[in-house]
Amino acid sequence: MKRIVFFFEVHQPRRIRKFSVRDIGKNRDYFWDAKNLEIIDRVAEKCYLPATQALIDGNIKTSISISGVLLESLVKNRSDVVEKFKEYFQKTGGEPVVETYYHSLSSIWNEREFRQQVEKDSKMTETVFGKTPTTFRNSELIYRDDLAAVVGGMGYRNIITEGTDALISSHSPNYIYSSKYGQNLLLRNYRLSDDISFRFSNHSWTEFPLFADKYARWLEETPGDIINLFMDYETFGEHQWRETGIFEFLARLPEEVRKRGMEFSTISEVGELLEPKATLSIPNYISWADFSRDLSAWLGNDMQRDAFEDLKSFENCRDVEIWRYLQTSDHLYYMSLANVQDQEVHAYFNPYGSPFDAYIHYKNVMEDMRIRCFGENFKKKK
Amino acid sequence: MKIAVLGWELPPAFSGGLGIHTINLFTTLSRVEEVMVYVPDFPNLDQSYPFEVTRVKAGPLGSPYSVNRDFYDMVLEYNKGIVEAFRPNVDVIHAHDWITVPAAIVLKRKYNIPIVVTFHSTEYDRSGNFNPQERIMSIEREGYTSADKIITVSAYTDKILRVLYGGGGKTSVIYNGVSSTMFSNVRKSYNSSGRVLYFGRVTSQKGPVFFVQLARKVLETYGEARFVLAGTGDQIGEITDAVNKFGLENNFELTGFVNDESALKLYRDSDVFVLPAVSEPFGMTVLESMSSGTPTVISKTTGVGETLFNALKCDFWDTDRMSEYVGAILRHKALREVIGRRGRIEALNFSWEKTALKTLEVYKSI
Repeated sequence: MKRIVFFFEVHQPRRIRKFSVRDIGKNRDYFWDAKNLEIIDRVAEKCYLPATQALIDGNIKTSISISGVLLESLVKNRSDVVEKFKEYFQKTGGEPVVETYYHSLSSIWNEREFRQQVEKDSKMTETVFGKTPTTFRNSELIYRDDLAAVVGGMGYRNIITEGTDALISSHSPNYIYSSKYGQNLLLRNYRLSDDISFRFSNHSWTEFPLFADKYARWLEETPGDIINLFMDYETFGEHQWRETGIFEFLARLPEEVRKRGMEFSTISEVGELLEPKATLSIPNYISWADFSRDLSAWLGNDMQRDAFEDLKSFENCRDVEIWRYLQTSDHLYYMSLANVQDQEVHAYFNPYGSPFDAYIHYKNVMEDMRIRCFGENFKKKK
Repeated sequence: MKIAVLGWELPPAFSGGLGIHTINLFTTLSRVEEVMVYVPDFPNLDQSYPFEVTRVKAGPLGSPYSVNRDFYDMVLEYNKGIVEAFRPNVDVIHAHDWITVPAAIVLKRKYNIPIVVTFHSTEYDRSGNFNPQERIMSIEREGYTSADKIITVSAYTDKILRVLYGGGGKTSVIYNGVSSTMFSNVRKSYNSSGRVLYFGRVTSQKGPVFFVQLARKVLETYGEARFVLAGTGDQIGEITDAVNKFGLENNFELTGFVNDESALKLYRDSDVFVLPAVSEPFGMTVLESMSSGTPTVISKTTGVGETLFNALKCDFWDTDRMSEYVGAILRHKALREVIGRRGRIEALNFSWEKTALKTLEVYKSI
């Protein structure tokens, strides 16, 4: 039986506000909490609540990772959303997936920090949903062999990442693989995932409009054991508005999938059921971001690398909590000067108007952090 | 196709935006079409140009930007001269700004030749929307309404004209080019020079007074920096007074007139170029600075900004934000380098060949 493996990333960063040079040393309030709450409220109404209800109604079993940063805010501000997710996990057997609490890049530079953030996320997930995650996914599916060693060592049995062109040219994403260190490794089927998350409402797409029966037929006709459909949860109702018919699609999909003899499974289920087809070695970083599917969405230009170096310098700051919120990868993502293909996506997410503004505000915060952590007078430092 | 161009400035006789536009656009166009340019008989015109030039006697002349009280009369005299000297064996008449509109309208009626009018600036821009002259606006309006086709150097200018004179629908926005050869050999260092550059006419339209306010705020917030105001104009006295009043003398330099060679060096050796224009239809200097690899901070009311990605934009009066941008560029090498390098490529994508092709399309659409 072919298994449809949905994975949803549910994340909102704690955006920093337009922190001015005049705020340095005077205003320690870095975060744009009014804006953050406004966005979370909007997304809750447009996506989290209706999409989760649709998953419950369709009894669609999936794997979902809610970043700690977002879950914390939901617990504080939107308990109705938390309750809805709880109901979902209980009724469908859906699986909560662990990540770094802060949705950070810690995996690429600081193992100790990374472990702490994953542990914190795991604890949060257990506390809120009463389930212990066994599947790990890194921020934006960033992956490299050595990540599996660390994550495997922490006891996680399944890891997911991107099915990049280089990988799938020799290994179909529609099977289970083994990481270099023995964990199950699942590769995103980006074509079939993007058909929903990117192309669903694109009128110039030759397959437009996409109906559930046609899509289920594609799934049926695709050879393999599993179809890994990994995407932003906000696909439902936020990136693809309700008016596009995305919820009708989601409501109809279970019936179309099941009548073709397929079923929905979680990542850990297929990890236990299926044998890995091969061992994959991935020595260089990959991710699901941008066209290049590497780290360039966060570290592709001098501004991003400069800001990242600043960030790293506060490892020993006594204000660890604040520092960790500043590690959220979105802050660097906003500074991306993506190529033309990706610019629209970046502009869509950028709350500051331009990557240059994002960098300037972040650097001002870094200046203030320097004073906060080391008491340095920034004006003397030239 | 034969094109009669009614011009004014032609380098080396005045090198304002109109002059640079005229010589570059019509040099390019003259390679494929027959171009005749009418200009006032300035004493310092070159002996020959790549296109045919007809010098029109029009008495003593000044820059269209000067505040000479006789300027209006001179313009009318020049326009009369054009009509007398005009040879009507052409397919289209291309007039530039209000200063050539009267002749264009007479010639259109007389010979039934279609006219295209390019607006490089409007009376609204030139006056900084402070006390615009009604008699000039009425000529502008007539040109705008009776032309067969209108060209503006930005969507920003198109919008001003539509708001002032109504209509629209026959307007093409065609951006100016930039001379790639002039900037092809620029070797820019991104080590800090601490220099902030204003380069342009020192007149209310370009907002030099905001540059002084900017200097004050940057010095307050960021510490050392050097502000260079290059150019001449009617507000020099006012600017000098402001610099003294705020005690900025040690960090502020007024260079007066600078020639092309010095301008290139100024662009290259500055950390950031600022154009706080109140209303700037295009902003050639922005592209020149970017072509030199120098980041720019410009007002939102600068036409070329509407199509630029690698430039920082704010309101001309918002010197808080402006100082934030300038200060950030001064402080962060990564920002200087990213905006500078990418901006250079972006600016060099503007070319007079593109301008010429689009202008030709307008002629052919009549």
